[in-house]
Amino acid sequence: MSAGRGMAENNLLVLRAAAPRSRSRILALGVALAFTAVGGQLVHLALQHQETSAIRVSMMSSSASSLARPDIVDRNRRLLATDVKMPSLYADPMLIQDADEAAERLVRLFPETDLRELRRNLADKSRRFVWVRRGLSPQVAQRVHNLGIPGLLFMDEVRRTYPAGRLGGHILGRVDIDNRGTAGIERHIDEIGASEVAHGARLSARAPVRLSIDLSVMHALDNELSEAMARYGATGAAGIVMDARTGEIAAAVSRPAADPAIAEESLDPSRTDKVASGTYELGSIMKLVTTAMALEAGKSLDSLVDTTQPLKAGRYTIEDLHPLGRPMSVAEVFIHSSNFGAGQLALSAGAETQKAFLEKLGLWSAQKTEVATGPEPLKPAQLARIEQITLAFGHGLAVTPLQFTASSAALLNGGNRITPTFLARDPATPAKSGDRVVSSRTSALLREVMRRNVTDPAGTGRRADVPGFEVGGKTGTAELATAGGYRKKSVIASFLGAFPASDPRYVTLVLIFEPKGQTITEGEITAGRNAAPTTARLVERIAPLLGVPAKAL
Amino acid sequence: MRILNLVAVLLALASAFLLYGLNYDTRMIEGRLQAREREAERARADIAVLRAERAHLARPDRIEPIARGLGLEPVAARHLLPGIGRSPNDITTSSTAH
Repeated sequence: MSAGRGMAENNLLVLRAAAPRSRSRILALGVALAFTAVGGQLVHLALQHQETSAIRVSMMSSSASSLARPDIVDRNRRLLATDVKMPSLYADPMLIQDADEAAERLVRLFPETDLRELRRNLADKSRRFVWVRRGLSPQVAQRVHNLGIPGLLFMDEVRRTYPAGRLGGHILGRVDIDNRGTAGIERHIDEIGASEVAHGARLSARAPVRLSIDLSVMHALDNELSEAMARYGATGAAGIVMDARTGEIAAAVSRPAADPAIAEESLDPSRTDKVASGTYELGSIMKLVTTAMALEAGKSLDSLVDTTQPLKAGRYTIEDLHPLGRPMSVAEVFIHSSNFGAGQLALSAGAETQKAFLEKLGLWSAQKTEVATGPEPLKPAQLARIEQITLAFGHGLAVTPLQFTASSAALLNGGNRITPTFLARDPATPAKSGDRVVSSRTSALLREVMRRNVTDPAGTGRRADVPGFEVGGKTGTAELATAGGYRKKSVIASFLGAFPASDPRYVTLVLIFEPKGQTITEGEITAGRNAAPTTARLVERIAPLLGVPAKAL
Repeated sequence: MRILNLVAVLLALASAFLLYGLNYDTRMIEGRLQAREREAERARADIAVLRAERAHLARPDRIEPIARGLGLEPVAARHLLPGIGRSPNDITTSSTAH
C-alpha cells in the first residue's frame, strides 16, 4: 500500500509537476501569439508606409517634371517675373461621352484652338490623357468647369508670369512650356543653377534674382523711345542707360518690344533685341573712340589736323558735312563731326595702333552678357587705308549698342574698363578694379569735348542740353547698310550721352532707326535733330529717378 | 508565478492596444499635418498670384496715365532747381527764384 500510495503520491507529484509546465506552455504560446500579432502589425505598418510612399513617388513622376524658378526682381526689388500655379485643362477621352459636342463647346471658349484636331483627340478612346489647354486663368477654368462636361479634368501646373508685360521683355527672355529658360536672364538663371527640377506644381523657395535694371527708368526710357518713334516716323528704337563706374545697366529697351509671355512675339525676328543681340555700324559716335585714340597718342584738344585737302583712298573721296575750309583742331573735328578729320586722325595713328585700340576697348570681339552671348562684331578683313578712314567715323565695323556703351563708359569714367552687367552688384563686394583702357588725362579731355559738343552753339549735340544736368554727348548718323550698299535716306541716328559730363554717373545711348524728315526737324534726319533732343528729354526724366542731383550752373 | 504570467499577458495586451492607439493617433496627426501642408501650399500659391497681380496693377504703364490724370508729371529740373525754368503751379519755387 505504502508503495501504492507512494506511487499515487508520485503520480500526483508528476501530475502536479506536469500541470504547471503545460500551463506555462500555453501562457508562453499566448504571449508569443500576442507578440507575433504586435510584430505582424509593425511589419504591416512598415510595409503599408512604404506602399503609400511608393504610390506618392509614382504619382509625382507621372506629372511632367518642370523647373521651379526663383523670382526676378529689379534693383528696387519690384517684381519682374514670378511662378504662379495655374490650372491646366486635360481630357480623359474614355470618360467623354460626346466628343463632337465637347469639342465644339470648348472651341467656343478657346477660339484659337483647332476644332478638328481637338475633336479627333477627344474621340480617341485609346488614350486616357489629352492636353486641351495649359495655363488657364482661374476665371477661364471656372467657365470650363461650368460647361459640366464629364472627362474634362484640371491639373495644377506652374506658369511663369511677367507682371510688367512687355517692359523689360528682351532682358528677361523666355521660358518654354516646361518652365525651362530658353533666352535672356531666364536662360542665365538655368545656367547658373538657380532654378531647380521640381516634380509636380511646386514654387521655388529660393532667393529672387536681383537685376541691375530699374523699372521706373525702364519705363521712362521705353516711353521716350516710343514717343520719339512716333515723332520722327521711325521704324524702331533702342536705348541704354548704364552706370558709368560699375557697368550695371539701369535700363535697356529695344522697340518694337516683345512680351516674354507670348512666344510668337519673342520669336518674331522684327522684334529681336537691338541692344545686345544686333550689331550695327554706329556712325559718328565712333569718333569718340577715334578722338580717344588721338588723345592717348599725346595730341591735345587744340592740336591741329589738316582737313583742307580732300581725303582720297583709292577711288573713294571722303565727303564732309561741315567743311570749315581751314585746319581744324581735334576738338573741332569732334564738335563738327568731321569725317575728314577723323580719317586723318586714324591715318596718323596707324593701322596697328587703331586695331589694338579697338581690341583694348572690347570692340573687336563679342561682348558676352547675362542676357545674350553677344554676336561677333562685323569687322573688315584687313585694315587698309580706306578701312582705317571709314572705321574712324563708324562705318565698316558693326558692334552691339551695348558693347559700344560699355566701351564709352570706360573712356569717360576716368579710363577704367568695366564689364556690362544686368545683375545688381553687391555693394559689399568692392568693384573689381578693371584694368586701365586710357589715361585719366584722355578721359578728362573726352568729357570736356563731349560737354563742349552740347554747349557750343555750333555743336552737333546742342539739342541734347538740359539745364541743370550737364549733359555731354556725341551724335551719329549712320547710313543703314543693306544688301548692295548703303541707303542714303535710311539711317540709324544715335546719340551717346553722359551726365553729369564733368564726372559721369551714367552713360546713355539712344538709337533711332530710319527716322523720317518731319516738320519739327525741318525735314532733316540727322541725329542732332532726333536722337539728341530725345536724350535731353530722357536725361531730364531719369536723372531724378537715378538720384543724380540737378545743379545750377 | 501565475500572477507574473498574468501580468505579462496583460502587459502584452496593453502594449498591443497602446501600439494600436498610437498608430491611430499618428495617422490622425499625419492626416492633419498633410491638410495643414496643403493649406500652406495653397496659401503660398495664392500669395504668388496676388503678388503677381499687385505687381501687374502697379506696372508703370498703368500708373503713369493715372498719375497724369491726377495732374502729376515727371520730375524735371525746374522742380529741383528754382533758378531754372518756371513752374506755374509752384508758388514757393517762384518766390525763391531770383
